[in-house]
Amino acid sequence: MTRGTLVYIVQRAVLIAFTVLVVSFGVFYVVHSLPGNAFISDRLHGRALQLLLHQYGLDQPIIIQYWNWLKGAIHGDLGISLVTRGAAVTPIVMQELSVSAMVGGAALVFTVGLGLLFGVLAAIRQNTWVDYLFTTFAVIGYSVPSFVIGSLGILVFAQWLNTVTSGAVYYPLPWQGTYGGGGISTLISISLPAISIGLYTSGQITRITRASMLEVTQQDYIRTARAKGLRARVITIRHALRNALVPVMSIMPSTVLGILTGVLVIENIYGIPGLGKEFVESIFTHDYNLTVGVFTIYTVLIGVANLAVDLLYAVVDPRIRY
Amino acid sequence: MRLSRMRICGTAVGLLGVVTVAACGSGGGGGSQSGQLASQQVLHFPTYQPPGTWDPGEADAEVDTEISQNVFDNLWRFDNNLNIVPDIATTVPSTSNGGISSDGLTYTIKLNPNAKFNNGDALKCSDVLYSWSRSVDLQGPYASNLSAIAGYAAAQSAAGAPPASSSGPGAASTFQGNIEAQLAKQVPAGSGSFVPSGLSCSDPETFVVKLASGCGWCLTAWTLEGSTGAIVDEKAIQSDPVTWWQKPVTPGCTDCMVGAGAYYLASYDSKVGFKFKSVSNWWGSPKPTLTEIDIDVHDPSAIAGDLTAWEQGHYDLIGYGGNSGNLTYPQIQSVKGSRFSSELLTQPKGRTTWVSFNIGYPSTGGPFLGESAAAKGLRMAFDLAVDKQGLASTVCHNVQCQAATGGLITKGLIGYLGDNQDPLAKFDPTQAKSLLKQYDPNGTLTANLKYSYNAGGLNDPVAAYLQNEWQQNLGVHVTLDPSSDASAFINNRLSGKYVMSRDGWQFDYNHPQDWFDNLWGYKATAAGANTSGFDDPTYDSILKQADAEPLSQALPLYNQLSKILSTDVVYIPLYYSVGNFVIASYVKGAGSNTAFDYYWDNISILSH
Repeated sequence: MTRGTLVYIVQRAVLIAFTVLVVSFGVFYVVHSLPGNAFISDRLHGRALQLLLHQYGLDQPIIIQYWNWLKGAIHGDLGISLVTRGAAVTPIVMQELSVSAMVGGAALVFTVGLGLLFGVLAAIRQNTWVDYLFTTFAVIGYSVPSFVIGSLGILVFAQWLNTVTSGAVYYPLPWQGTYGGGGISTLISISLPAISIGLYTSGQITRITRASMLEVTQQDYIRTARAKGLRARVITIRHALRNALVPVMSIMPSTVLGILTGVLVIENIYGIPGLGKEFVESIFTHDYNLTVGVFTIYTVLIGVANLAVDLLYAVVDPRIRY
Repeated sequence: MRLSRMRICGTAVGLLGVVTVAACGSGGGGGSQSGQLASQQVLHFPTYQPPGTWDPGEADAEVDTEISQNVFDNLWRFDNNLNIVPDIATTVPSTSNGGISSDGLTYTIKLNPNAKFNNGDALKCSDVLYSWSRSVDLQGPYASNLSAIAGYAAAQSAAGAPPASSSGPGAASTFQGNIEAQLAKQVPAGSGSFVPSGLSCSDPETFVVKLASGCGWCLTAWTLEGSTGAIVDEKAIQSDPVTWWQKPVTPGCTDCMVGAGAYYLASYDSKVGFKFKSVSNWWGSPKPTLTEIDIDVHDPSAIAGDLTAWEQGHYDLIGYGGNSGNLTYPQIQSVKGSRFSSELLTQPKGRTTWVSFNIGYPSTGGPFLGESAAAKGLRMAFDLAVDKQGLASTVCHNVQCQAATGGLITKGLIGYLGDNQDPLAKFDPTQAKSLLKQYDPNGTLTANLKYSYNAGGLNDPVAAYLQNEWQQNLGVHVTLDPSSDASAFINNRLSGKYVMSRDGWQFDYNHPQDWFDNLWGYKATAAGANTSGFDDPTYDSILKQADAEPLSQALPLYNQLSKILSTDVVYIPLYYSVGNFVIASYVKGAGSNTAFDYYWDNISILSH
């Protein structure tokens, strides 16, 4: 790693920290300003409610509350839940992060793997039925939003198949994350949400890979490689694909972002107990620390993912220096 | 090519076979029973909300108390018919057995000498003194169940409002920590500012309660399961007074969920699930047969999958833990139409839903405000325009609810007026129209009306039904004002920021006081809970008298209060809730009454 790369990483880290600070305060301010709170109920109101708000420091000025929260957050303590009273938020968020990471990771593997494969196959079989098939897939993929794919998945696997097989074969909804026993059942469970999230971006990657491959395969060095008698597979994978990946890498930041935000939507459709679902639920239940904690984690993740992709550019394209 | 076809056919036949075998072998719930106990006494069911708190001093929600009632015992408990029976106390006090003094102000309660906490600690009078004092000091949502005890207000005032909890759970500066520190000194001494003066121990096994004034409802309120009357172990709370109830019991633990009930917390993950295990050689009765209770925390959207899992024998029941309202009508119908139909339990629950008018909040009120003839006439018009039976059949299909025709207090509870006895339950569109014409001939008063409600569940179809009824029978268009944020909705309703609003009450204990104190009149107003703002001197005077009398004498007075509410057209009765459970036939003793799920120590698993 060069000195320039190190300086670049430090600069970006400072920027990420600043972004986290601004975003966390913004979210903190907004959620605390919403009408209602986590405690109020038909039974819990009046003096008992005021006392509880006081206990949790929720009657203090927002800036003081934020300062107290920030002091803890710096030490890895994101505060306590107001819904499950007194429960530490950090372990909850970390547990849910592992679930989201599993779904997001599967979606990323699906997106990149399928997109590259289809893109390459469409390019090397240009203007054949293979090309038309994968190009059509790509168009459908990026034309249909993830929540539509998700809802269709539920309709087919949870509703239709469940009815057809009288419950003997059904899609286990909602996916219980790592808690469902792990192994093959988790893999089966994870596939549908992962496909729902990844279909859109895999369509994009298919198109870009195809265009990029078509351009690269017209280059002189590929013709030279062919003239030297190299096998087609070696030319495609070792010589063409590597250079064709550069434009693909350029859309990776938006791909990762798309998956992170896609997880948020899909988790709520499939009832997956991850960060995205918690984020929405915590807003409705006014579990302030959870909302801010989840949002902060999202901000960090997006910042780090962007940085990682920027650093990967340099690995794929040696012309890029920091 | 032929080979490929054969392979395909073979695979298809194989798959069909697998599916058939799986389908045939999947029915866990419908199997036959021999009447013998199964070797594995483990009950497994899902719940659909993580716990808020199981701390009896602070518990609020039914989903919490339905579970914690099996860990914490009270001095008395409700049996399955809602009768009060002894638990930690040896008898139910009465004037005839000497447990209640002739003036009704002193209760002398003998404790069972065999009673123990489920970590083995002996349970003595000082523990009861501590538990009740703590509940008073914490000032939680059900603290008012102890409000008739002498010195209640003074103890709450002493507990006061200490510094906010910014230094983390367990710290002495927290509200709870401060209470623990004070009670640690004052309970052994038998008195102090944090101990209500009306509570004392005359000996280690005799608890004495002195009331400030007569109280006909106290015993019922003190018996409320999982709440302020439950007995907790000071030693298990002191080192972590905030999150002790989330911590599984381990040998010698000092901060863990210890109660005197038949079960103890064995593992806990608020987002995943919890396990409870039976206390070996438990002191009480009936002795638990189930050795373990496994509860999974699921999202409400999981119920369809869970129902399939129940049919396949993965779950033993669904609906326990305060979740009897989660099954949808199509799901209930699908169970009814299947071989599991006999395993569906439909049980009326103690919850009534009605429409409240804004009667007492002038700054936000509309045409229904106040006690003028016009306001009352318009309220009556809007009430008579709604067909309550039609609502129960259209919205609930007479499965998820019943029409509320017997007053606000739910059918099956003390204070229920009887079927079709509530004059407000009538449906008379002709009279409704005539009243509207009389009091709002130009339609100016009833223009731009809004009906506020929290979205979700039955509330949306009910709102649409009401809108249609008012349009059709009165020609008045009422705009629907749904709120996706229940907290904001309750906040607005409690502060009277509405014109017409969905309202309701789930009873806590089987006594009319639970309804009439908490919803209207001076007490509700003082507590900030008088949603309609209805309060008048006659109501208050009768309420005071009724609350002080024994039930037999109080009941006619409470009926008078019902009459006042209906004469003043304070509400539009809508429906009584009905719970639906699916319980596998091999689960013996499981069920529910109007109030709660039958205790786990009533349940056993038959071999199947």
